[in-house]
Amino acid sequence: MARPAAPASVAVFWSAFGPLVKGLLWGGIGFGVGAGLMAGVRAAVGLKAWAMEPLLVVGYVFGLVGWLLGVGMWDVWVREWFGLPVKADVPRDWRRYFRFCTDHKVIGVQYLVTFTVVLLLGGLLGLLMRLELMAPGRTVMGPDVYNQIMSLHGILLIAMAVVLIIGGFGNFVLPLQIGAGEVAFPRVNALSYWIVPPVAVLLLTSPLMGGFDTGWTAYPPLALVNASGQVPFLLAFITIGLSSILGGLNFLTTVITLRARGMTWSRIPIFTWSVFAASMIALTVTQFVAFALLMVLLDRVAGTSFFKATFGGKPLLYQHIFWFYSHPAVYIMILPAFGIILEIVSPFARKPLFAYRWVVTAFLAIVGISFIVWAHHLYTSGMSPALHIPFMVTTEIISIPTGAVFLAGLGTLWLGHLRMATPLLFVLGYFFNFLIGGITGIFLADVPTDIHLQDTYFVVGHFHYTMMGAQIFAFLAAVYYWFPKITGRMLSERLGRLHFWWLLITYNLTFLPMFWAGVHGMTRRTADYPAELAGVNMYITVMAFLLAASFVVFVVNVVYSWVRGKVATDNPWDARTLEWATSSPPPPGNFRGVPVVVGGPYDYGVPGAPRHAVIGVAGGAEDTPRPAA
Amino acid sequence: MKAAHRHALVVALLWVALTIIGEILLIRYNPFPVAAAEEAEVIDHAFRVLMHMAVPVFAFVVVVLLYVALRFRARGGVAGDGPPIYTHGAGVAAWFLATSALTIAITVYPGITDLLELRRREAQPPEVLVRVEGMRWAWQVTYPQYGVTTLEEMVLPVGKRVRFEVTSRDTDVVHAFWVPAFRVKIDAVPGLVTYTTAVPTKVGSFHENSAFRIQCAEMCGLRHAYMVMPVRVVPEEEFKAWLALQRQRR
Repeated sequence: MARPAAPASVAVFWSAFGPLVKGLLWGGIGFGVGAGLMAGVRAAVGLKAWAMEPLLVVGYVFGLVGWLLGVGMWDVWVREWFGLPVKADVPRDWRRYFRFCTDHKVIGVQYLVTFTVVLLLGGLLGLLMRLELMAPGRTVMGPDVYNQIMSLHGILLIAMAVVLIIGGFGNFVLPLQIGAGEVAFPRVNALSYWIVPPVAVLLLTSPLMGGFDTGWTAYPPLALVNASGQVPFLLAFITIGLSSILGGLNFLTTVITLRARGMTWSRIPIFTWSVFAASMIALTVTQFVAFALLMVLLDRVAGTSFFKATFGGKPLLYQHIFWFYSHPAVYIMILPAFGIILEIVSPFARKPLFAYRWVVTAFLAIVGISFIVWAHHLYTSGMSPALHIPFMVTTEIISIPTGAVFLAGLGTLWLGHLRMATPLLFVLGYFFNFLIGGITGIFLADVPTDIHLQDTYFVVGHFHYTMMGAQIFAFLAAVYYWFPKITGRMLSERLGRLHFWWLLITYNLTFLPMFWAGVHGMTRRTADYPAELAGVNMYITVMAFLLAASFVVFVVNVVYSWVRGKVATDNPWDARTLEWATSSPPPPGNFRGVPVVVGGPYDYGVPGAPRHAVIGVAGGAEDTPRPAA
Repeated sequence: MKAAHRHALVVALLWVALTIIGEILLIRYNPFPVAAAEEAEVIDHAFRVLMHMAVPVFAFVVVVLLYVALRFRARGGVAGDGPPIYTHGAGVAAWFLATSALTIAITVYPGITDLLELRRREAQPPEVLVRVEGMRWAWQVTYPQYGVTTLEEMVLPVGKRVRFEVTSRDTDVVHAFWVPAFRVKIDAVPGLVTYTTAVPTKVGSFHENSAFRIQCAEMCGLRHAYMVMPVRVVPEEEFKAWLALQRQRR
């Protein structure tokens, strides 16, 4: 048989990747225009036309606009402003994932896949770090390379932690859970995803400009005097902040305005509540970190001196503004994880979610208190000692609403009929890890002990317990829980259990010794350490590699099951919330009728409890059979 | 006796048992490197108190987790639903009372009490003044009372209150002054003089124990990891002799 004509494959390629090619092209043109403009302006005012950092900044701003227009904003959105018809038709197959698609489910999958890749990439960088730290002295790389890898590991995984759950499951699940057909601003939603690829380009090209070695916190004056690779870092962080603000705005508006009839505030599923609470933080404080980074950027490229001590600048000021966002930001990361855990624990314990109203109150309390704890990062920074006790008090207080998550989780498990499937295993693992993360956090909130522990491996251990041990365990619980809804196929239960036990054990064996190393004098972000710490570091490195190997099981499971997995029913976990009241995966528009909420979301085992929701079809009532697809 | 009460009683007993075991193990465990200053004793005390307070909390959650996982697991396929318990007024109230009380307790003791203890020591008049300047990537220590400056090692007399005045040059970056053996840490910030104090209590040196070192603890660029200065704590006569030697060498 003759091969199909070549043009056909070109057409397929173009129909799939055309928007990406166009985005790259327009982005490149935009970059050239911006950089050229800046060079012209510089020449006009009598400066040397070529200066890498200013040209890069202005070129990037124009390039970002060009990329966004090219990748789809022009076709889907801006044409309208010129009285032209928009071109928003999207193919119904895999190709929609490569374009500016406004379907929240597509955007959710785009976030999930992108940031799972970022997670794995960040993990690999972590392995490179462990390789260098395997033995004292130089092992595989010099401190210059180490510092860059450490910084890249940090920022990639911070970005992942902020975005992965809220961008991925928030987008996919939240509109379904409140019975909405879409988010409030679908095009803004697509924009907030498509603004992410430039961030990746910036971070990955940064090494060509000497990289950045400040860690993810970018404290000046170091961030003012190091290699030009710091500039793409600053631009990347500001850009992803913009994405986070837009996402927060979208989720808040969606929950406020698009809830199905009968979805009162006390019937909102707990995961949606957690995303709502996290969005309040994302919308209101992300600006602060953007300002802080912008000030650093201006100090570098525009001759300001916010943080240059020589000209009266205050390096300490940056740390306050930075942490005014970056501490609340950890709750952007962990609140949706709390939501996932409590969302899953109820259907798997077959009991109502314990103390639901207290948990919602606790989430909102966390939002409020999270704004007034930031200076606990600054106990040893040289700030006024008068601030020590107030911030120690607020920081300790936030552990009370955080403890409410344990109350609700353990309260729900207590006397339950536990179905020990993989999602619940990860929930139990989460509680164990977050317990250690929480307890060690007390040592860092306490001023006397923090004086010794600040900037040591104790801190590294602590935040990996909260971020990886808790947040990533919650993420994995959510993957095992919602994978059937997203893909229409079940993950392998056998591989899931293997992954869980392997990860739980190697995770704890890797990160627990870090607390000891920190107490014994190992600093954070260090390319080397005293010879006394050789044993514990070799041990951590070996365990880290075993830990990483567990993710091979995960990737195999996901890839295999996505293609070949057992076909999932609409509601494989026998759960009540609305995402399970539609097909797996849900159709365009999410439901085959209009969802009307008539009962609580977690009334498991409640005799005579009505369903959470009925899907009304034209002229139908509660038990009208669903029309065939 | 109702089944729920029986479960609660078993968990309570297991909790008490695990807590007792944990506390006993903890008493026998020394998690610290050498403590060579009065400040280190205060900070280690706070650390130890927090660990003892953490044991019952840790034991409680672990016991409940293990108990529910083993005892409330639905066996043999899909069992029915659990009991419809939405909340438990007294249980929730007790939880919040207990966690609030614990929070207040740890904030006051060891948090505030040990911090005030450190402050009280800090306020006493220093006997030796040491100016510490961080620079990329070395430490310079100056003894203004004795007209001595060195880049090689920091020598301190045992039993004397030392006040460290720490800074970084205006054109340099942020560093952090940390001596693990003393447990004291303070940032060296351009344009700012920060301070901390320590009363060394043990004679020792970097070559015997790496906890005797000034280690930069704030990321400062390329050679951050190697920004180390050996610390040597010596008897007073030896300190005086060292100062004299330094002055001679100038």
